[in-house]
Amino acid sequence: MASPSSFKQELLKKWVLGLQSCCSMAKDMGISERKKAIKLSADLAMASARDGRTCWSRAVIANASKQNESKILVQKILGSECERLVKASSIGFSSCNKRFTSKRILRRSCSSLRRIRRSAPKRVQASSIAKRMVKKRTQLLKGLVPGGESMDEFSLIEETLDYIISLRAQIDVMRCLADASERLKSQ
Amino acid sequence: MNTALPEMLHCLQTPPENLVESVADLTMLERKRAQLKRQLQQQQQLRQQSQQRYFGETQFYVFPQPPVTQAQQFQDLINNDPALREFVNRSMKTDPGLANDWPDFGKYPITNTGFGGKTADFGCNGFGTNSLGTDQSHSVSISRTSSCPPAVPLPDEKGRDSAFVATPSTVGRESFKKRKADKTQNTKITVPEDTRDKRIKTDAEETKITVQSTATTTRSTPTTTTTTVTNPSNSNDTTTANNKSNKETTGDSPKDNSKTPEVPKPDYIHVRARRGQATDSHSLAERVRREKISERMKYLQDLVPGCNKITGKAGMLDEIINYVQSLQRQVEFLSMKLAAVNPSLDFNVDNFFGKESAQTFPACNGNSFPTVGLSSEMANPAYLQFNPVQQVVSCGGLDMAINPPDEMTIRRTSSTPISMPEAFLDTTGFTQAPHSSSSWEMDLQGLYKVELQQGRPAAFPTHPFTGTLEANNLKMEM
Repeated sequence: MASPSSFKQELLKKWVLGLQSCCSMAKDMGISERKKAIKLSADLAMASARDGRTCWSRAVIANASKQNESKILVQKILGSECERLVKASSIGFSSCNKRFTSKRILRRSCSSLRRIRRSAPKRVQASSIAKRMVKKRTQLLKGLVPGGESMDEFSLIEETLDYIISLRAQIDVMRCLADASERLKSQ
Repeated sequence: MNTALPEMLHCLQTPPENLVESVADLTMLERKRAQLKRQLQQQQQLRQQSQQRYFGETQFYVFPQPPVTQAQQFQDLINNDPALREFVNRSMKTDPGLANDWPDFGKYPITNTGFGGKTADFGCNGFGTNSLGTDQSHSVSISRTSSCPPAVPLPDEKGRDSAFVATPSTVGRESFKKRKADKTQNTKITVPEDTRDKRIKTDAEETKITVQSTATTTRSTPTTTTTTVTNPSNSNDTTTANNKSNKETTGDSPKDNSKTPEVPKPDYIHVRARRGQATDSHSLAERVRREKISERMKYLQDLVPGCNKITGKAGMLDEIINYVQSLQRQVEFLSMKLAAVNPSLDFNVDNFFGKESAQTFPACNGNSFPTVGLSSEMANPAYLQFNPVQQVVSCGGLDMAINPPDEMTIRRTSSTPISMPEAFLDTTGFTQAPHSSSSWEMDLQGLYKVELQQGRPAAFPTHPFTGTLEANNLKMEM
C-alpha cells in the first residue's frame, strides 16, 4: 500500500473480485440478501486491503471466516494470503473472545453490585460522573469498532483513527461504483 | 559548575507555579529550618571532636560537581538558611588546604550574594518549599557527605539497582531507630522524623541516603581517617579532577560519591514528590499512558469534523461515535443502493474495469484529475466543462471515471466541514474538486503522521502537493 489512492485501488480490486464471486455463487437473491453480500464483500475488501495489519481488519476477517456462507468469499477476496491472514486473525481474535466473555461476567457482577450500591443514598462527585461518562462512551465505541471489545483504551483510539480513514476510503469507492452503475443503467 | 550556573539561575526564576504552594508550605519550611540548625549543631560538635573531620565536611561543598538540580537545591539551601550560608563562608575561610579549589567554588556563593535580593525570594518560594522530601533528603545528604562514609559496606552499593531496595531498607529502619533513640530528647524534631520515615518507605534512594547519614552520626571516628586521605588530593586544579581523585583515593566509596547526585535527579525532574504521592512507577506509567491517549485524541479531533470546538473527553468521544456511526450507516446505505440498482448483482464489472482497469482505477483516487487531463486531451476542454453528457459519449468506457467525481465531491463536501459557496454548486463541480480532494489528502497526511509515530510501516505515504498541483493543471487546461 503505497498511498491513499493505491489503497483505494486495492480496495476496489478486491471488492470487485468479491462481487464477482458473490454473483457466481448465487444467482437470484432478494434485495436484502444482495445488500448483505455487497456490504460483506466491501467490508472484507476493506479489511484485506488494510492487509490485516490492524486489529479491526483482523477482527473483520475473523468474523467473516467464522460463518460458513462467507468463508468462500473470504478465501476469494483474500486470495493467496488467505491462509496466513485467517490464521493470524483467528488466533488473535479467539483470545480476544475469551477475554471478552470473562469481561462480560465481570461486568455483570459489577452491575449487580452497582444496583445494590445505588439503593443507598450516596453523594456523587463530579469527577466520578465524568469518569463514568467517558467509560460509557468508550464501551459504545468498542462496540462500534470491530474487535474493539478486546482493546485497551490507547489501542482503541488508534484503531478508531485507522478505521475512520478506511471507512472514508470505502465510502468513496462505493460511491464511485454506485454512481457508475447508475449512469450505466440510465444510458 | 560554571556551566551549570546560568541554568541554575534560570531555574530559580522559572517556577512560578511553586509560588502558589509556597504559602502552604511555610510552616514546613520553618520546621525544616529547625532541623537544619540541629544538624549544623551536630556537625559543629563533630568538628570539635576532631579537626580532621572538619576537612571531610568541607569536602562536600567542593565535590558536588553538580548535576543541575542538585546544585539548585544546594544553592537554595544556602539561600534559605542564613546559618548555613554563614557556615559555608566560614568553612571557606578557615580551610587553607583546599585553597586551590576555592576559586572554583568561590563563584558559587558570590553569585548567590549577587542575586541575593532576588534569589532569596525565589529560593524561599520555588525550591525551598519545593517539597519536604527533597530538601530533607538534601540536608541529610549534606551530613552524609560531610563525613564521607565508607561505613556503608560495598555490597550495598553494588546491589543498588535491584537488590538495594530490599536489603538496606531494613538497615535503614534499624539505624533509623537508633537515630530516633538518639534524638528523643528533642520532641520537636521527631515530628518531621516521622514524615521522613514514611517517605523512606516509598523512595529507596532516600533510604540509602539516610542510612548513610545515620551511619556517620553513629560512627564518626572511622570516617575521619579516610577523609584525611582524600584531602591532599583535593588540592587538585579543577573540581572534575577533584571528583575523580575522590574516586581513586577513597576506594571504598567511589560509586557513592559519583552516583548519589545523579540517581535521584530523574525523580526530582519528572515527579514533584509532593505530599508523598505519585513517586512509584505505577503512577508514572499511568501518566505516560494518559499523555499518549490524549495525543491520539488530538489526531482524532483533527480527523473528525466538528470535533475541534469540543473540549472534554466525553464530548469528543460522543462526536467520534457519531461520526463512526454515520460512516457505517453510509456504507449500509450505499450497499443498499447498489443492491437496488443492480438487480442481478452482475455489476457489468467487465464493462467498467475489464479492458482499461489501469486507466479507470485512478478514477477512484478521490482526485480523478489524471483521467480528466486525459479526456481533455481527447475532447475540447470547454466542451468538457459545459457538456458532460457528450463527453460521456465521446469517452465511452471512461464515463465512470469522469462523471462520478463531481457528484461525489459535492456530496463529500456536504459531509466534510468545508463550506462551499452556492455559486460553485451550479457550475460544473470540477472547480470544487481540488478543494475537497486536497482536504482528503490532508486527512490522510494526518493519519500518516500518526502512522509514523507508531513506527509501523508507513501505510499512507502522502503526496502533499498533488491536489494543488493538479488543480493548477486543471485550471490551465480550462
